[in-house]
Amino acid sequence: MIALLTQNIAPIMFAALIVFLLMGYPVAFALAANGIFFGLVGIELGLLEPSLFQALPDRLWGVMSNDTLLAVPFFTFMGLILERSGMAEDLLDTIGQLFGPMRGGLAFAVVFVGALLAATTGVVAASVISMGLISLPIMLRYGYDRRFAAGTIAASGTLAQIIPPSLVLIIMADQLGKSVGDMYAGAIIPGLVLTGLYTLYVLGIAVFKPKWAPALPEEARKLKEPDGSSGTASFVVIMVLATLAAILFDRLYYVPAYPEAALDERLVVAAAAGAAFALAVAIANRSFKLRLLSRMAEQVVFVLVPPLGLIFLVLGTIFLGWATPTEGGAMGATGALLMAIARRRLSLKLTQQAMETTARLSTFVVFILIGARVFSLTFYGVNGHVWVEHLLTSLPGGQLGFLIVVNIVIFVLAFFLDFFELSFIVIPLLGPVADKLGIDLIWFGVLLAVNMQTSFMHPPFGFALFYLRSVAPANDYMDKVTGLRMAPVTTTQIYWGAIPFVMIQVVMVGLLIAFPQMSLIYKSGAPVIDIDKVKIEIPDNMPVSQPDELMRELGAPPKGKVPLDGKDAEPPPAPKSAEDQAADELQKQFGGK
Amino acid sequence: MQGLLKLSKLVDTINEWVGRWVYWLVLIVVLISSGNAIMRKLFSMSSNAWLELQWYLFSAVFLLCAGVTLLRNGHVRIDVFAGRFSARTQAWIDIFGTVFFLLPMSILIMSLSWPYFTRTFVSHEISGSAGGLVLWPARLLMPIGFALLSLQGLSELVKRIAFLTGHGPDPIKRHDHDAEAELAEEIRLRAEGNA
Repeated sequence: MIALLTQNIAPIMFAALIVFLLMGYPVAFALAANGIFFGLVGIELGLLEPSLFQALPDRLWGVMSNDTLLAVPFFTFMGLILERSGMAEDLLDTIGQLFGPMRGGLAFAVVFVGALLAATTGVVAASVISMGLISLPIMLRYGYDRRFAAGTIAASGTLAQIIPPSLVLIIMADQLGKSVGDMYAGAIIPGLVLTGLYTLYVLGIAVFKPKWAPALPEEARKLKEPDGSSGTASFVVIMVLATLAAILFDRLYYVPAYPEAALDERLVVAAAAGAAFALAVAIANRSFKLRLLSRMAEQVVFVLVPPLGLIFLVLGTIFLGWATPTEGGAMGATGALLMAIARRRLSLKLTQQAMETTARLSTFVVFILIGARVFSLTFYGVNGHVWVEHLLTSLPGGQLGFLIVVNIVIFVLAFFLDFFELSFIVIPLLGPVADKLGIDLIWFGVLLAVNMQTSFMHPPFGFALFYLRSVAPANDYMDKVTGLRMAPVTTTQIYWGAIPFVMIQVVMVGLLIAFPQMSLIYKSGAPVIDIDKVKIEIPDNMPVSQPDELMRELGAPPKGKVPLDGKDAEPPPAPKSAEDQAADELQKQFGGK
Repeated sequence: MQGLLKLSKLVDTINEWVGRWVYWLVLIVVLISSGNAIMRKLFSMSSNAWLELQWYLFSAVFLLCAGVTLLRNGHVRIDVFAGRFSARTQAWIDIFGTVFFLLPMSILIMSLSWPYFTRTFVSHEISGSAGGLVLWPARLLMPIGFALLSLQGLSELVKRIAFLTGHGPDPIKRHDHDAEAELAEEIRLRAEGNA
């Protein structure tokens, strides 16, 4: 009996963990208690040193001093402030008008705004609640299929998980020991492809089930010209001109002025120039009543400015090397605060709500991590990781077999566990095995992030469905515009609506396994987000006698500065202090010498 | 029982009070962190002390808010099965969990982190990086946070027992105050105003 326990303590511990968790007591404490209980058993059996628990304060300290975790409060706070700022509502109104006259147009607008909000913020709730309150009633009013409407909204909200900046990607990078910038770069194309797949699905519905997704009727098109035309042509013209302005600015000014600029930097600067041009035209048009632009075009430009500005703050500053991804979150939160204040949407009460919710959310997240660290202290002590590794490396099919099994396991676990639990408990066990099998960890991380996105839309526990349920009409209601009695949206309809999107998610996982290039592009040096050059917080007294070692620790392989035109990379930097070096890099980037 | 309930009420009040003050740190950390990035960009100034202050303050947020989060039932649970249990069964689970999961873990970490703090307090040790902050205030947060958590655990225990013995209300259902629900109501009103 004792021998059996001694030999199988890791599997027994894991099985006990499942029981502990399913009891329904808070996850953080069940995890920690499991670690402590089996730690005592292990000490009793002579498997572990009696001093095992002396390591606990150090583990806790490790969690405290991990400044990547600051991304949790930053992005949560930003999302909550954004939700309160009314930006999403304006976007949905206007973009809905832009696409509305098309069949399926409102659904396209939801996917588009979902992706745009996803590029602005890193949390799910913000988008789903706004879209459920603004777009859902309109879609219902004009006869959208309820399941289709609900599913599109819930799924589009979860895009925040995979399109950078995303809390999921930050935590994933941290748990896999990779740089957040690389993780972002590896997720950009998969995020866009996924958005494309959603759009294809909407298109398919619009073509084959036109009754599910009718165009907005004439009387619902509010943004019209005085002569009754839609003004869309004018919008297309301004977009083309803005793109031209961006390209010209890049070619004629920026590249001659800063020949060393990397592609990512040029993209950010050019996009900013194009947006500034469009904004300038729109402002001139409005102030001087020039009638250069249709009302539609002007309005669209105005609503797109705040989200683009925030994207610049959160992502642009990272691409330009001004801020770390964590600081990008703080910049975004500050920007969202300023914007909400400028729109006079932010009262003291709303700010306090946002702070309180942020504090509560970050507390539960960090405590799951603390619990997981207590658990792993014992679990690794009894060689649980060796057991897991053995289990997973003995799978048939090598890399592919491993990836398929792991994805199925995560898909199933995602029904019960949310993303934070999965990444703190499961990912640390899988990462080293994947690494050993020669799987690129960025690709692996993005793959799992796409997979875990389903944990937000799995019936019945998906958070996005839950948020949508909380804002969708649950009883008969009177439509404000038509005055007709409308039936409620049932929970079953929300569930059924989500299922096609869960399947799209599975397709995406398959595509990403088949075409790892989508993620591996982060290595190619194309859009390199070299955030490492801004990590200046390296202790000065760190031994610098081994520059290679230091560089590796900084995560700064030579790829960061490989010029695009294929010339040789710069020679490795001289062993200066890390701080000097980072400062040099920054200077080089801005051409200031 | 009434005496215990009064003590439990006192603990709740303390943790609520702590939570109300500590959540301001969220805003302060956001401003410090974006300030750090801006200062570095515009004035090429960077200081380890300010970088460290970020995580000191965030540690204060999650450690000191552990108690109030427990009070508000904010620590996430897996309620696939538990959600279907009766209120009485759930109360029993909470009693079991508090006695065998929460309290042992929280008291163990509290007692181990106390010497961890006193060591740096006596030596006035400073963090490893140049210009870093003195360590002990951050270390002090550990025992305090877990003490607040343990106290809240005891308070929850009292409330569960009171519920089971008919001396109190169902402790889980009490939290009607939900910021997201309030917000949703506001957005709904605004949307209807526009329509």
